Amino acid sequence: MENVKEIKVADLRAEAGALSEGGKHPLAAMFGRDETAQGKGYALYVVLEIPEEKRMQVLKAAVPVDGDLCYESLTPILPAAAWYEREIQDMFGLVPVGHPDPRPLVLHETFPKDFHPLRKQADRAASPRVKAGEEREIRMSVAHGEGIYEVPVGPIHAGIIEPGHFRFSQAGESMLQLDAKLFFTHRGLEKIMEGKTPQEALPVVERICGACSIANTWSFCQAVEKIAGVTVPKRAQIIRTLLMEIERITNHIGDCGNIPAGVGFAPAISLGGRTKEMMMRLQERLAGNRFLRGVIVPGGVAMDIGASLQQDIRETLAKAEKNMADLAKMFAEQENFQNRINTTGIVRHQTAVDLAMVGVGARASSFAHDSRRDFDYGCYPGLKFAVVTQKSGDVAARLAVRIEEFQESLRMVSQLLDMLAVDETVLRVEITKAVGEDWGISESARGSNFHYVALDSDGRIDRIFIRSASYPNWPALPIAVQGDIIPDFPLINKSFELCYACLDR
Amino acid sequence: MVYMVQSLGVGLVQALLLLVFAPFIVGLINKTKAILQKRQGASVLQEYFDLWKWWRKPVIVTPYTSKIFILAPAVYFGTTLMAAAMVPGLLVSGLQAGSAGLSLGDAFVFVYLLALGRFFMTLGAMDSATAFGGMGSSREVYISVLVEPAVMLAILVNAMRYQSTTLTRMVIDFDTFYFTVPAVLTCVAFFLVMLAENSRLPVDNPDTHLELTMIHECMTLEYSGRLLSLIHLGSMLKILIFLVLFSTLYLPLAIPVAVKVLFGALVIGVVETLNNKMRLFKVRVYLAAALILLIVSLIAE
Repeated sequence: MENVKEIKVADLRAEAGALSEGGKHPLAAMFGRDETAQGKGYALYVVLEIPEEKRMQVLKAAVPVDGDLCYESLTPILPAAAWYEREIQDMFGLVPVGHPDPRPLVLHETFPKDFHPLRKQADRAASPRVKAGEEREIRMSVAHGEGIYEVPVGPIHAGIIEPGHFRFSQAGESMLQLDAKLFFTHRGLEKIMEGKTPQEALPVVERICGACSIANTWSFCQAVEKIAGVTVPKRAQIIRTLLMEIERITNHIGDCGNIPAGVGFAPAISLGGRTKEMMMRLQERLAGNRFLRGVIVPGGVAMDIGASLQQDIRETLAKAEKNMADLAKMFAEQENFQNRINTTGIVRHQTAVDLAMVGVGARASSFAHDSRRDFDYGCYPGLKFAVVTQKSGDVAARLAVRIEEFQESLRMVSQLLDMLAVDETVLRVEITKAVGEDWGISESARGSNFHYVALDSDGRIDRIFIRSASYPNWPALPIAVQGDIIPDFPLINKSFELCYACLDR
Repeated sequence: MVYMVQSLGVGLVQALLLLVFAPFIVGLINKTKAILQKRQGASVLQEYFDLWKWWRKPVIVTPYTSKIFILAPAVYFGTTLMAAAMVPGLLVSGLQAGSAGLSLGDAFVFVYLLALGRFFMTLGAMDSATAFGGMGSSREVYISVLVEPAVMLAILVNAMRYQSTTLTRMVIDFDTFYFTVPAVLTCVAFFLVMLAENSRLPVDNPDTHLELTMIHECMTLEYSGRLLSLIHLGSMLKILIFLVLFSTLYLPLAIPVAVKVLFGALVIGVVETLNNKMRLFKVRVYLAAALILLIVSLIAE
């Protein structure tokens, strides 16, 4: 791994603060690692993006096992670190001193307090679940005052969606404060992948999230390939990039059809849903499954896209383009819809920068964050595309970014299909045993998707850290809703289209 | 005395008749919407199946509620059924009610019977002390405060025209008022009010599962089994009552009432497809528009 700076844990906060330069270099990820097997202690990794040099800067600080397992919290100077530090506290038992909100994040109050699953010696069987509320109190952040009341929503919802508990502090219909309790169905994916070879872990990576399987596999394979020091064949790069953009098109049109569901705008919901289904059937014809699983493998891709499939892509996307144009027209002409989405759920530019938001959420608040431009990977350096931004940061802006990015993706797909016409047959290079650690990044439909992989001396995974695009964007939701009225919450929530499964890894 | 018994008999028959057809009308609205959204949609009889399903399910009541909780659906259903007996223009006109001296009820009684049912529904929703019940009640009252004057005005326009507040009187003289300015204005205004009163789009969305955005549905969240089935049947009946009222008193077309009711249901389906839900606090602007139309037509009258 390049650009790693090993520092003392006492210097971590100052170093990270100086390096971030007030948000110019956003925090990509922060995670822990148990290196006791290597004869060391715990390690803290802070990864910052340096977009102008197209690289990451990694800060690594060792935390000795026999010490007090504390470090100075970065959150007061880097608000984006808040969730990462809480997660490290749950998973490794490393305490961020001075964290403004040190409540548990991933492991709910039903877990015993001294159970830290990502420590190598953690014993799940010896740590039975406890009853929440008795041994460990559940604390939600709420507002107090005369006439203020609480509205609890979830974790079980009326629709078929994933679990999350929302606690609104209300003054009449106005939302004063929102606290979201997520991570209800933690799957322990990072833990179960330990000890597996990259090839064995691949099916797990593909299933982290149903919407971003290309992005997740690509980030993962990129990390493995960097460790192995192999170069992915050109045609495989084209196919990966092509599928990534198809995944983005599918997601964007699905999201554009989902946002009107927040206001009961039925014809738009139907059109969006229908087009998304059309795209998913295209994906099934391409990959043999609706979620594009099994295509990207370490070292390349497992299948080619031949002439007939290329024609299929062109034809299906032409239809999708027409439907999206109809949908955009529908949105523009419905005055009542415009009234609902404008000025609703505003995220200010500074908020987006402070929280190191990614993807559509960031770009709608004129924070031009896009891994496709900021890092060299896939075919993106050779493609013509624009990073779409909007200024207003409201629901309308997030919708507009998706509609415009859909067009950009179509442009990219047509360039990529032209590149595929070149005759080349090598799709994959063999990866033998690889040892070391590295990161991978890709821009999913929702934003940058970061993976860190460390392979031990047997070439098996010693530590994997997965940070999908929803992770940095979730904390923006409670800020975006403040001051709006509670019936607007579903609309605001849908405009971010945040993923629960990406948290429950 | 004979007239009274006769009136009651006619009213009862009419109320039961409306009750039987109400789920069909709602099914028809839903089918219209489905087709316009290029969906296949459920059968027009689906609402009957749903009612039967809820009717067979057990009623679950939290121990923290009072008797109001059980009473509310019954009052809501009962008052709506009574209002259904008063709706003019179905059996009454066929019986030549005017010459026979039949009188089924007064417009004011009709409006406040419905208000009484609504009052009990909001009480029932608040009784369980859940956040959604309170939220739904508060929104329902907010809407009804705005709807009530509009409904009253719409009736006053007719009362002025016919010099009577007896609903039966209004229908009989209707023939002479086709396509006058006030007739058309009240027709439009009453349609707007009808959508608001019956929790339809763009005021409330009957199809949503998003509990935070609900108004009427929000109040029914704690109800189950037969109680839920009573509430839903009451709501369906209310839509049909308003459609009949709309057809007999406000829609100036010389076609049979039954055809007008079906036409009204189709129009609701179309309007609900074309519109999305407006911001909650914009509802007052919407209802103010209806009020202004009514005031203008009152002046024109």
